[in-house]
Amino acid sequence: MTSPALAPAPVREAIVATGVARRFGSVHAVTDATLTVPAGSVTALIGPNGCGKTTLMLMLSGLLRPDSGTITVAGCDPRTDAAAVRASIGWMPDQLGSWDNLTCLQTLTLMGEAYRIPRATARTRGMELLARVHLTEFAERPARVLSRGQKQRLSLARALVHDPAVLLLDEPANGLDPRSRIELRELVREFAAEGRAVLVSSHVLAELDEMVDDAIFMSQGRTLGDDAAAMVADAKTRYRIGATNPAQLQALLTQYQVAFEPEAGGAIVRVESQDHAAQSLSWIVEHGVAIHQFGPVGSALEQTYMAMNEERR
Amino acid sequence: MSTVTTEPGAVAPAHAPVSPPPRRGNPWAPTWHGVGLMARIELRRRRPTVKGYVFYGLTFAVTIGICILAAVMDTSELTSVPLELALILVMGVGALIAPSLSATSVNGDSTEGVLAPLQMSHLTAGDIAVGKLLASWCVAVIALLALSPFLVYAFLKSGWHLDELLVTIAAVLLVVLALTAVGLAWSSLAARAVASVALAHLTTGVLLIGTLVLYGVASIAVTDTVTYTDRYIDWEQLSEEEAQALDAAYVSGDYSSLDPADYTCTEHEYTSGVAHTERVAWILLLNPAVMVAETAPVVDPETYIRDGRAAPGLFSGIHTAVSGARVGPFEDDLGNVTQWDECAEIFGTGDGAGAGEEADAQTAEELEAEWALEEQDWQEYERAVATTAPAPWPGVAVCVVLLFGSMALVIQRLRVPYKKLRKGTRVA
Repeated sequence: MTSPALAPAPVREAIVATGVARRFGSVHAVTDATLTVPAGSVTALIGPNGCGKTTLMLMLSGLLRPDSGTITVAGCDPRTDAAAVRASIGWMPDQLGSWDNLTCLQTLTLMGEAYRIPRATARTRGMELLARVHLTEFAERPARVLSRGQKQRLSLARALVHDPAVLLLDEPANGLDPRSRIELRELVREFAAEGRAVLVSSHVLAELDEMVDDAIFMSQGRTLGDDAAAMVADAKTRYRIGATNPAQLQALLTQYQVAFEPEAGGAIVRVESQDHAAQSLSWIVEHGVAIHQFGPVGSALEQTYMAMNEERR
Repeated sequence: MSTVTTEPGAVAPAHAPVSPPPRRGNPWAPTWHGVGLMARIELRRRRPTVKGYVFYGLTFAVTIGICILAAVMDTSELTSVPLELALILVMGVGALIAPSLSATSVNGDSTEGVLAPLQMSHLTAGDIAVGKLLASWCVAVIALLALSPFLVYAFLKSGWHLDELLVTIAAVLLVVLALTAVGLAWSSLAARAVASVALAHLTTGVLLIGTLVLYGVASIAVTDTVTYTDRYIDWEQLSEEEAQALDAAYVSGDYSSLDPADYTCTEHEYTSGVAHTERVAWILLLNPAVMVAETAPVVDPETYIRDGRAAPGLFSGIHTAVSGARVGPFEDDLGNVTQWDECAEIFGTGDGAGAGEEADAQTAEELEAEWALEEQDWQEYERAVATTAPAPWPGVAVCVVLLFGSMALVIQRLRVPYKKLRKGTRVA
């Protein structure tokens, strides 16, 4: 009856949330969140601690009821079809929880059975997932011997047992060593390539830059829609120029009325495209300025995040 | 069966297709598959460590020791005491350990962050609640199985019938199940495990001891004051000779030489309380321990040997005590009659008229007959108390209400999406 889960239902917009709000007593955790996550893409959810990211993720996962606003996940409304919503989501919580007495393989097998997958299939699937998160050698060892990062990877494998169409990853990079972070980045890209919609929250913004297709910024319970997107787009155009003689560079830019932000080591300019960047570089060099550094300022997400926080102060 | 794939390279490309069944709505009802799986997860997780095994081993050894001691102490042919002790131990162990486990299993899991992933899965709130309940309750079942060799031996000596034993075991397990459910309910209400464990044991205490205390307090409220009247010879109005003659008559037992006219009778009234326990005895019947005892066979203290029973044991003792409360005070204690009448004893009738040897002799016979009658009344009362039909149903009702009420609450609290959260907790 059911189509294989590897080919998720033809829903382009896997997650759509509009005007979602939720408060706990007098604390407004989320006041107005609007976001869309298309299938086959990775979207980042970025914001300072306590801005409501986890609360929003809980509402999207169908664990928490919003006070107002509408949510649709994989074509289902959690208000009427909460079970279907939960079943379509692979959720990796920010809290590390594992059954300490059970082995990694048992954990995944039992979790698979909880999704009504036959035991033998769940076991095979468990081995596959352990291989995917590089925990194969821990398959028969109890979860309590795992380090924090390993538990994190087990948690990721657990979110995948039922081959979900939507992945909600809450701080997946926490506690991972550098190699694991890079592997996680590749895994997340693979998930999107498999057609899943991925929503990932993280504080490690530099990493998100290379992982995500889109970013949603949250501040004080609100998602910052187009403003933040514009800021990201703007941040992506910023290039840092390092000159051996900064004064000479700044004089040149002033002379030709190029807008720039002066820096101790040179200047920051805006370029429209990679071609434009190449042209700009050769133009500066032609004018006899010795350049030792030329490139994007850094993480566009980080710049936006910092700019956003400055606004708040 | 166990296809342990050890080569990591071999598994990477081939995807095992998994196709969980689709779901509609937001079901909550427990299912066989879900309850079984949840119980399996819980039992595996709670598999004891080495220390745990040592502890359980010691507990088991002590339990067996007590039982063997009970068996050795009583050497008469039939005795139900060892069996009763074994059942009490099963109930005690179950009522202590099972609620402790269940009382940590919702808020504890929530703190550890392993509850929400299960709520996300196809397990319903009912699956999780009932699975956890049964897993904790298993402790009592395991205690029962561990004691089963001794139970068989004790049963053979007890004079009980097999069906009676099964009913009482079912009652013990029901009590433990209800208390476990209460523990689970506290666990779903309280944010911290310490609080819910304490509250679970407090509930057990209220049911087991609180009902007794409440009964004690309530029986004060239903105590009536009754007046008793005693009649005796007024010594203060006697002359010296009359007093000496009376003393001599006390010693000889021959009152015929006394002239009733010389002796004035006086009356003394005093009051005392009689508790109409039959009005509050139902409080005792709510006690789960009493309920278990009430399911035990009734032993007739007069005919038990003919009936093939053991002498009244612990449960019979409880049954008799509770039934005594249910039947109420013995009629003669109800007052408003003359308790002791010295004048009538000495002079036949109260006013001293027609005194003489005949009257004296009659009085003695009458007295004896009266005593015999009173004695018979008392025995009949005692027997009636001992053989009062047992009333386990109020206690059963309490357990069933607690069980279903608690489970309804737990399921309600476990359903996601949450509308409200426990204060000071997170979802995950």
